Parts: sequence; structure tokens; C-alpha cells
Amino acid sequence: MSNPIVKKNTEVWKSGVAKSITFIVTKDCQLACKYCYLVGKNDKERMSWDVAKKAIDYILSHEQDFTEASVVWDFIGGEPFLEIDLIDRICDYIKTEMYRLNHHWFNSYRFSFSTNGINYDSDKVQNYILKNKDHISIGITIDGTKAKHDLNRIWKGDGLERGSYDDVVRNIPLWLAQFPDGATKVTISSADIPYIKESVLHLYSIGIHEVNINCVFEDVWKEGDDKLFEDQLIELADAIIDNRLYNDYACSFFTERLGKPLDCVLDNGNWCGAGKMLSIDAAGNFYPCTRFAQYSLRNKKAWIIGNVYDGIDKNKLRPFLTLDRCTQSTEECINCEEAEGCAWCQGENYDAADTDTIYQRSTAICKMHKARVRANNYYWNKLFAKLEAEGQREEYYKNKKTISNESC
Amino acid sequence: MLKYLIVQLDDTSVSFCHYENDRTKANLIPLDTLKEAIFWSMKENLTLQFLYPDYVIPEEYKSEIAKTFHADIVSSTCEDENLRKTADVVVFDSLASIKFFPFNKEQSYVFRLTLSELRDNTQMLYSILPKVDRINIVLIDVLSFKDDDKSSYFECLSSLSDKIANEYKDGHSIQVNLLTDRMLLDSMNNCNAGDETIALCPDGNFYVCPAFYCDDDVRFNIGNITDGLVVKNPQLYKLDFAPICRICDTYQCRRCIWMNKKSTLEVNTPSREQCVVAHIERNASRKLLKKIREIGTFLPEKEIEHIDYLDPFEKLLLR
Repeated sequence: MSNPIVKKNTEVWKSGVAKSITFIVTKDCQLACKYCYLVGKNDKERMSWDVAKKAIDYILSHEQDFTEASVVWDFIGGEPFLEIDLIDRICDYIKTEMYRLNHHWFNSYRFSFSTNGINYDSDKVQNYILKNKDHISIGITIDGTKAKHDLNRIWKGDGLERGSYDDVVRNIPLWLAQFPDGATKVTISSADIPYIKESVLHLYSIGIHEVNINCVFEDVWKEGDDKLFEDQLIELADAIIDNRLYNDYACSFFTERLGKPLDCVLDNGNWCGAGKMLSIDAAGNFYPCTRFAQYSLRNKKAWIIGNVYDGIDKNKLRPFLTLDRCTQSTEECINCEEAEGCAWCQGENYDAADTDTIYQRSTAICKMHKARVRANNYYWNKLFAKLEAEGQREEYYKNKKTISNESC
Repeated sequence: MLKYLIVQLDDTSVSFCHYENDRTKANLIPLDTLKEAIFWSMKENLTLQFLYPDYVIPEEYKSEIAKTFHADIVSSTCEDENLRKTADVVVFDSLASIKFFPFNKEQSYVFRLTLSELRDNTQMLYSILPKVDRINIVLIDVLSFKDDDKSSYFECLSSLSDKIANEYKDGHSIQVNLLTDRMLLDSMNNCNAGDETIALCPDGNFYVCPAFYCDDDVRFNIGNITDGLVVKNPQLYKLDFAPICRICDTYQCRRCIWMNKKSTLEVNTPSREQCVVAHIERNASRKLLKKIREIGTFLPEKEIEHIDYLDPFEKLLLR
């Protein structure tokens, strides 16, 4: 935890009001994770410097259309660090251009990565991190115990399945030394449910204090999964509370704002940020979010909102920016007594919808959300009773570890 | 609730609305399909509207159509002279031929024009105002509307308003959709394709409207006459599920589902261009209402408020 290379700089970073701009630098990855929503991964579609430069030029020269106070320049793949040379060049150009243009994002930007962590310790990646140390955030995805991680996160290729846990976990100490507040993202699919408790505790044990965890939005759930899920979360709740982990560690499954009814006037915001974000792929097409690029979609055509040559077609953003919770929800969702915190992914909604629309909310996650609500209620009732009994409730609120604003 | 069935009789049938029908090869709807459509409409209590091609359709088709209540929509260039005279709606694709057309007050007339055609030739419409009771002006290039066009479009509508006001002064309550509809309405009166109106096309399939048959870019069907109508996500064709439109008061707006889909990819979301054009018409209607009231008492209970936006999307984002 000593000598972190990334400074905490809340003045520079205005979290929550930032524009997220994602470069899909490659559709290739060393891994072939079983739950990966990217159905069209390949090693052909790598972003060229020309496309990247045109995207940056367009974005920075249309300052009036990007009024957010800050920007997150996000790089994803596939595995983004496979294209570290391109990324380095992109970031240098962004910094130079923001300075040259006296852009309002200069000194209010962050470069963000979600990586599988495999080549995190390579010289090129490390040099890049050192070069951009004041403006960078990196999340390494590790799913938990070796058993849980290797269940899904396997190496690409034919032949025997080979898990990637050992290749990732060796880089965790270096990553945490550089990013002490580093959070990891865990994805739960049907087969992962029995491993939830031990996985979260394992991640805590290797020094990761924030675990952002969510169930996949796709319709993968089997009969009885909700009960298993609830049981796992209750066991996890007991472990966190009985071992007093709640002060220093956070798991996004447990949150105080969950499971209440919602009002169609007062609580009508859209959950998903699609449309407020911007993604660019190797062909130079713009998307409202990466999930609308063709390689993310199983059933539907890509939702393209422009390209680096012609710019953004603002008409194609209007459905996203006017979308609210109740207009896209079923009557059952609108009247649900446990609606609060029930998430959705606009891209998955689109992909699963009966027509080519983002206005039909997928309800595949319904029973898993309700199971989570029950376990969450248990967690807070148990924790508050304990804190009250110990006179620690106020203290808890002062010092508790909170979850960062990871939306998906 | 479904109220109208539009039957496009041929691939080359006239377009009466914003969409183009570029097909030139005749392909008449099968007679059996036509019979099924008429039978189904009678059972469902739907009003039928037939879109005719320019050529004369066979007599057996005419006799089937004559068996039920319906409206005929034909082009001004239709070769069937008798049909042209008796049709309920006659469609003009330009103003060039209106000089010699025998307009009358029994028929309605649709003028499908580009913005520049309308702007440059508005005065050509003046001469027919005394001869007709209803004209619909349909801009066929709404999606190309630019901010630079705003003032000239408003001026064009204002000029037309002056002539309409003169008609009212002479006791002739003419209706011109872009200008008089809004004065008369208290709530949205849109096209309602997919909700109140659907189309049956020569391939035997139902479509939200003929535009979804004629325009390959957005083509999708909603069932067929044999197996039935299947409108998926039907709520999205209703006003309550259109976030921009449900807060809007341009009641005369066509709220064209085809233009929505083409420009924003969603059937329930209008483009900025469609909103701006409709608001300019709304504001011109407001001016016309004032002008007519200078003549005498007119619709005293109606009011069109002043608003300071042309695109309700902006209003919505500020909420």
C-alpha cells in the first residue's frame, strides 16, 4: 500500500460529471471468457492511428457539444493493453491537443482502463502508467478464487481449457501498490453462483478493498438460481459482518439504496448512461456505448450514431437522452415493490427486444434482483443491529468504505 | 385502437404523405388478398382507404372495392379519369399542373412539395383557395430542413395565412392543414400509424404505413392478411410512450412514424427537423388565429400560447 504512483486528486478529477469517451482499440483478447458479451471478437479490427486521430480531432474541435466538466478517455477491447503503443500515441496527442486548444478538459481528464491484467507488468504498460500517473485509473478483472476465476476466464485457443488466474494474480501486488484503491469487477453468471462468497472474501484477502460485482443481464438464469444466489449472499453477509470487514471493504451487492418501490415522477431516471457516453471503433464509427457496436450484439444490427468523418448525428442520440425508466418498463416493473436498484443495460435491452428498440426493458434479471434485495435486507438489518448494540453506528458512517461510481 | 386500413393496391401506387414511392414496375395486389382485406376490415370495423396506381385497375378490383365504405386516394396524374373526378383525395406531386385542374369542394387535395417548391411557388396556391374546402400540404424533405430555413418557412406560411384570412373574411372557412388544424385542435391529432392506422401492401403483409413497404431502409412488416396482425411493442406507437411528443402542443404535427424511424432509429422519437418544422407551423397558426380574430369573433375558447422553443427536446432536457 506504500508509494502509490497515482495521486488522489479530486480537484483534477470531477467524478460524476464526466463525459466518458471509449476507444475500442482492438476486438482481440488473449482470453475467451465464457460469459463475455462480446460475441464478435476478432484479431482483425484494430484501430488505426488515422481513425484515432480523426476521432480526437472531431471531439476536441466540437467543444460546444461536449460541455461536461471532465472527461474519461476510456480504452477497451478485447484487451486494451494489446494496443499499448497506439494508446500511448493517442494519449500523447490528446494531452497536446487539449493544451494547444486551451480546452476546458485540459487538466480535468482521466485515462481509464479495464484490463484482464495479463500483460500489466510489461515494460511498455509500466512505462505508460508512469508517464500518465496523475491521470489514470486501471481496473484489473479478477473473478475471485482460482476455481471461480478459471471457471470462466480461460485462455483463447483450441484444446484443453486453461484458466488465467495464475497469470493475473501475479500482477495484483504491483497493481495494488500503484493503485491502492484499485477496484475489481466481478461478473456473475449461472455457473458462478456457488463461488460468490468465497470469491469476494478471497479478493479481500489479496488486498482488494472494493469489489464491484453484478449479475449478467443476459437471460442465462436457471430454475433455482435465485435461491442459490440468495443463500450465497446471506453467507457472504454473515462473513463480512462476523469478521468486521464492513469498515474497510465494500462489495457492491450490499447497498442501502435497494429494493424500495419507485415513483414514475420522482424516480424516473434512466439507469443506463448509454447516449451520454461515446464509443469509437476501428472503422471510425461512433456508438452511444460500446454495447451497441456490432461485436457486442447477438441479434441486432449495430446502432451507429455517426462516424469520425461526418461527425455525430444528434438525431440518433435523441431516443437515448429522452429515455426514462417508466416508458421502457413493463407494468410489472413499474409497480414492483422492490424496483429500486434493479439495473439494466440499454444495449442488452436493445439486443433482447422484440423489435429494434431501446424502449423495451429486458426483465431476465428480475428474480436475481429480488433475491439480492432479500439478502441485502438481511445484511443491513444484521449490521445495524450489531452497530447499535456496539454503539458504533455513527462511527461506521464516518469511516465506511464506499463503492465508486461504476455503472456497468 | 385500430380504425383505418390503408390498402396500397399496387407497387406503383401514389404516395399521399412524406415518403417517396420510387417503384416503377407495376405489381397489383392479388385479387384474393384484396377480398380478404375488405372482409377483414368489415369484421374489424375499419375504414378503408385505397391508394391507386396511375394506370386503370381491372374492373373486378373496382367492383370488389365498391362493395364497402371506403375512401379513394389517387394521383392528379391518374389515367382513370372517372376515378380522378370521384376520388376523395387527389394528390399532386408538384404545383405545375394545378392551373388546369378542375378543383371542387367535394374533394380534398394533397400537395407533396419540397420546401423550396412551396416557398418559391406559394402564390400558385392562392388561386385555388376559393375553390376548395381542404388542402393538405406535405413537405417531402422535412429531414433536410436547416436552421437557415426557419425564417423563410415562417414567412412563406405567413403569406399563405394572409390569403386564408381573406377567405375567412369572405365567409369561406377553408382548411389548410399546416395552418388551420392547430387552431381547431385541443389535443394531439397525429398520423397514429401503427396504433389507429395500418397498411396492407401488394405482398399481402401489413405494415405500420406504406412508407415501411416503400422504403427498403426501414422495411419491416407487422404480420399478414392470412395469419393476422402482429404489432410487437405496440405501446411505442402511442403518444404516452413518446417522451418528446407527449409534452408537446404542436397538435397538428403528423408525428410521422416513418420519419422518426428513419432519422432517430426509434418509432416514438421525432427528429429535430420534424419538431422544428411543426413548431414553425404552430407559431404561424397562432399568428393566423390572431389575424382571423381581427375580422370578428372566432373560436373564442381556443388559445395558442406563446412559447420560446422550437424543439421540445430542449425543454425535456432542462427538466
